[in-house]
Amino acid sequence: MDKLKSTLQSLVQPLLAVLVGLLVGAIAILIVGGDILETYREMWKGAFGSFYFLTNTLARATPIILVGLGVALAFRAGFFNMGSEGQMVLGALSAALTALYIPGPGWVKIIAAFAAAVVVAGLWSALAGWLDSKFGMNLLITTLLLNYIATLFAGYMVAYPFKDRSGSAALSQTEMIDASVMLPKLFQGMTVHVGFIIAIVATLALHFFINSTTKGYEIRMLGGNPLFASYGGVSRGKLMVMSMFISGAFAGLAGVSEVLGTQYRFLDGSLTSANYAWSGIMATLLANSNPIGTAIASLLLAALQTGGMGVERNTDVPLEISSIIQAVLILFISAKFTISFIKRKKAGAKDGSAV
Amino acid sequence: MDQLFDVSLFAAALRMVAPILLAALGGAICARVGLFNVGLEGLILIGAFSAILGNYLTGSIAVAILFAMGFSLLFSLLLAYMSINLQANVIIVGIALNFLAAGLTTFALRAIFNVKGAYYDKDMKGLPKLDIPVLKDIPWLGDVLSGQSILVYAAIVIVIVLQFYLFRTVSGFRLLAAGENPVASRSLGLNVKKIQYAAVLISGALCGLAGAQLSLGNVTMFTEGMTNGRGFIALVATMLGQSNPIGVAGASMLFGFMEALSYRLQNFSVPSNITAMLPFVVTIIAMIFFKSSGYKNEAKKSSGSSR
Repeated sequence: MDKLKSTLQSLVQPLLAVLVGLLVGAIAILIVGGDILETYREMWKGAFGSFYFLTNTLARATPIILVGLGVALAFRAGFFNMGSEGQMVLGALSAALTALYIPGPGWVKIIAAFAAAVVVAGLWSALAGWLDSKFGMNLLITTLLLNYIATLFAGYMVAYPFKDRSGSAALSQTEMIDASVMLPKLFQGMTVHVGFIIAIVATLALHFFINSTTKGYEIRMLGGNPLFASYGGVSRGKLMVMSMFISGAFAGLAGVSEVLGTQYRFLDGSLTSANYAWSGIMATLLANSNPIGTAIASLLLAALQTGGMGVERNTDVPLEISSIIQAVLILFISAKFTISFIKRKKAGAKDGSAV
Repeated sequence: MDQLFDVSLFAAALRMVAPILLAALGGAICARVGLFNVGLEGLILIGAFSAILGNYLTGSIAVAILFAMGFSLLFSLLLAYMSINLQANVIIVGIALNFLAAGLTTFALRAIFNVKGAYYDKDMKGLPKLDIPVLKDIPWLGDVLSGQSILVYAAIVIVIVLQFYLFRTVSGFRLLAAGENPVASRSLGLNVKKIQYAAVLISGALCGLAGAQLSLGNVTMFTEGMTNGRGFIALVATMLGQSNPIGVAGASMLFGFMEALSYRLQNFSVPSNITAMLPFVVTIIAMIFFKSSGYKNEAKKSSGSSR
């Protein structure tokens, strides 16, 4: 009974946030002269209206979940990993190049592409962790700056050395990968692919890792109270590099699943303009770094985004309405302005965790 | 080489220093009261958009600058209320504010100007350029320093004012004390919350100015996400300058110069992707030479740690 009660209580905050988000969205709709009910109906239809739109939402949620999981792990350890975008892009680039240039049958290429993406993205992320533990460079800032370097570098790679020169289009992109490397779709003619299954499995795996393993406990301890963790003999530097590697590896998974499952090549800017990485970070914040919650929040954000596209198609309200609702959600959650917060404050407990 | 390092490069550098410097000063004053303001990026973006909006609605530069300061101030109030009153983690609020700024400006761009991506009006007047008498006649130096936008000079003046305020006035010392040891300050009867509010609001106003310089200083246009990481570079400038206005100015100069250089290098047939990396690479290298306080010290702080 108590467990049910606490589960319900943990749902109050996100639900309240969604309500406020929709309310602010309604104001924005009014300002641009739209019909609130009609806009939200179109938004619902765009996200879940038919089997096609539903699978579309799931496909969009796939990279968001994977990125969000990585960020959740880093946040749990108390590290503000803001570098998912760069990590994902580098992962996607290495996956595309591996799939294109490694010889062998399709399944070898697929495994190689996944390995390349995970390792490259993980190392890029671990670099920031290493810089922090070795030189005391603020991780939050380095990861942000490394984003720009990674995306610009990837852009350069596909604009010059690995540019697709077969087509007439002057796009900065690699050549298309072989059909044998493409991840199968889950349903005929629908956009959702095997990557979604990977994301779900990853969610459960991370949930298990954080809650039921020794390393997971150390990570939680480090995030919850760094001083206590150090007293307990947890080596921050090592754990930082490790957790940042895993965190980046998840972002790399997002990149490889997008390349092998949806785009079939690396196209400069396609991952960044879709805002997958930042949506992943938002999902983590919404879910307070809980893996399963992150997956659910990712679905919610993906639905808002695909719903926004539906709104754009069928009404005069611009699709940017979704970004307003999302931002309000985050702001509201970050304020922890809820009953539970006030209760905890009364009890005098201070939340020392990073999130 | 002569072509690369000519006068116009340094003049351009000064122009690009201004937004970074103004925002970094805002970051510095927040850091001084113990708040790590990650929201600079969003605040500049709001400033840049509101400056264009003010200019579009009234055609007056003064109103445009007031708009920029006003709206950024409003947003910094949100940051202050959430992090100081509701005690939310200031970093999370800062990140959220960046999201909100990006979402609101793209939405407003569609709703008000009915364009996607960028708004540009060739008839719109930018910030006036000031020719400084006497100075403008000095060779080289005159070409660099004179003829800049009014906000560039404002930035330089603000550095000096802030340096004086922080280290030479009673109220400045109180501000430093509130950040250094909030508990002790409270016991001496200082209103720490009020001081923190003031610091955040000042940073908001400064970011507004930074935004105005960005959207009206050189070209008169607004593009989605036009801050392009400047807020984060400003944060690094804050850290490198040890939250000391003159130090912050020095660090900002370095980054502004790198930005100007990166644009200049494009004329030398270096791919733009490579040149655009330059400010970020230099920023990261600069961070190596700056040792921030250990994570354990930060963890002991009441306001939460960024690491």
